[in-house]
Amino acid sequence: MNNLGFSEEQRDCLQEIINVAMGLASDKLARFLNTFVHLRVPSIALVGASVIPAEFESRYRDTEAALVSQGFFGNEGVRGEAIVLYQMTNAHKISALLGYEAGDVSEIEMLTDISSILTTTFLNGLAQQLENSLSYSAPRVLSSNNGDLSGMLKNTSFHWEHALKVDISYQLVDHSFNCDMILLIPAEAVSNIKTILDRILEDF
Amino acid sequence: MSHAWLSSPILAQLNSGVLVIDDEYQIHYANSFIERHAGLQLADIQGKSLFSVFADLPEAWLKRKLMSVLDLKTPAFSSWEQRQYIFKFAHLRPMTSSSQYMAQNCTMLPLDTPQLEQPLICILIEDATDAFVYQQHLSKTLSELEKANRQDGLTKVLNRRFWEEQLKQEIHRAQRYHHPLSLLLFDLDKFKDLNDKYGHLGGDFVLVELASFIGSLLRDSDLLGRYGGEEFGIILPDTPLSGAVEVAQRICHAVADHLMLFNQQTIRASLSIGVAEFSPKQHVLHDDLIRSADIALYNAKRAGRNRVCIFQPGVSDYQKKAN
Repeated sequence: MNNLGFSEEQRDCLQEIINVAMGLASDKLARFLNTFVHLRVPSIALVGASVIPAEFESRYRDTEAALVSQGFFGNEGVRGEAIVLYQMTNAHKISALLGYEAGDVSEIEMLTDISSILTTTFLNGLAQQLENSLSYSAPRVLSSNNGDLSGMLKNTSFHWEHALKVDISYQLVDHSFNCDMILLIPAEAVSNIKTILDRILEDF
Repeated sequence: MSHAWLSSPILAQLNSGVLVIDDEYQIHYANSFIERHAGLQLADIQGKSLFSVFADLPEAWLKRKLMSVLDLKTPAFSSWEQRQYIFKFAHLRPMTSSSQYMAQNCTMLPLDTPQLEQPLICILIEDATDAFVYQQHLSKTLSELEKANRQDGLTKVLNRRFWEEQLKQEIHRAQRYHHPLSLLLFDLDKFKDLNDKYGHLGGDFVLVELASFIGSLLRDSDLLGRYGGEEFGIILPDTPLSGAVEVAQRICHAVADHLMLFNQQTIRASLSIGVAEFSPKQHVLHDDLIRSADIALYNAKRAGRNRVCIFQPGVSDYQKKAN
């Protein structure tokens, strides 16, 4: 796989930081959602953003899927867009997870709420590891009921060159629930992240 | 050098609401935007509960959002698209907007305040009325466009493309549920003579007038469309041949008796109508059903016009044609 110019050390460092961020997130989420949360060690890959649509198209083919996008930006030129993908057959599980009652909130609001919680909890942990802090835009839902996820992803990500793909599988003991998270990061931000990784590596 | 002194004048001028509460929902701060919109003074509400000062708030819903901010130290969001407003404020365009209350995007942010023991939350309220109004215009325009896309420009009945789509769907439905389905095709008799006598404006007037008149004779579920020129079609769902013939006779007689006034002249018109019932064996494509009704229509013309003819199964081609 194309490492997009990351050295082996930089990659290892990033993987380690993401693992720690995931650990922090799963701990917080478990407490907040009041259930045990098992998180698989995420698979992390840096890929060209152009390969993303096709990959997810096959995974979400023939299902009603939703895509929630949320922008983030921090100090030292760290910025990007987090995309969370769901199968809508999972959506009814979310309301139970968040403690909403039927008819309380719209499906879209449940999706933005859970996405924002998953995304910002993870990214806050990541920012903490990078000695950074992040601000977020409001999450937005793009839904697809005809499996045209690939088209939506293309429209979302065409101007992003690189993507940090973090596949997260959340397994909750009381509810089985899955989603995928992708962080899309523009080229300048990738090189800014490299600079930050180098500084962290020097400190060790 | 600290710029803390700037915060206060900026907060006073800011065209967004800034409200700070603690984990027991007590109000610590509200900027001028909130004071002015709510008609309150900070001094009077400081230390009071958010939910007692703003009694209209969706309390259970908001508490859940605030809980995630406190527990996870992450921001929470609310969009006007899901919930038009949280705080019931009047907006700043009372004259140019149809909405009564300010549409709001709200962000609930955990505040990092190490000097305080109690965690604080900042609620930011942005006026999204403009976006709300644009969205309403857009929805209205889209629904008008959608309508225009199905309508015949002159007569306002369904256009041919949309009408044929409907026919395909009705055939599909009739096949699936074994319901009867009939089709009428009709044509204005001697339309060319009308055009010659009253001019094209007169001809157009007759088309518009009759389309609207015939539309008023139909059930809501019947689908009247302009097939081309002076030829129209009516899809009659859930209607067997006998019922379709009755409808056709009624239209034929009503039109013959209908007087139209154009430029102080009384115009009379008549129709020839072909009737066909859908039969799954005979009509594979929707075109086959149209063709059956068209054959019956030509027979009605040939038999002397101003009448209804029924398609006879087994007749597969046009007899000698007539106008």
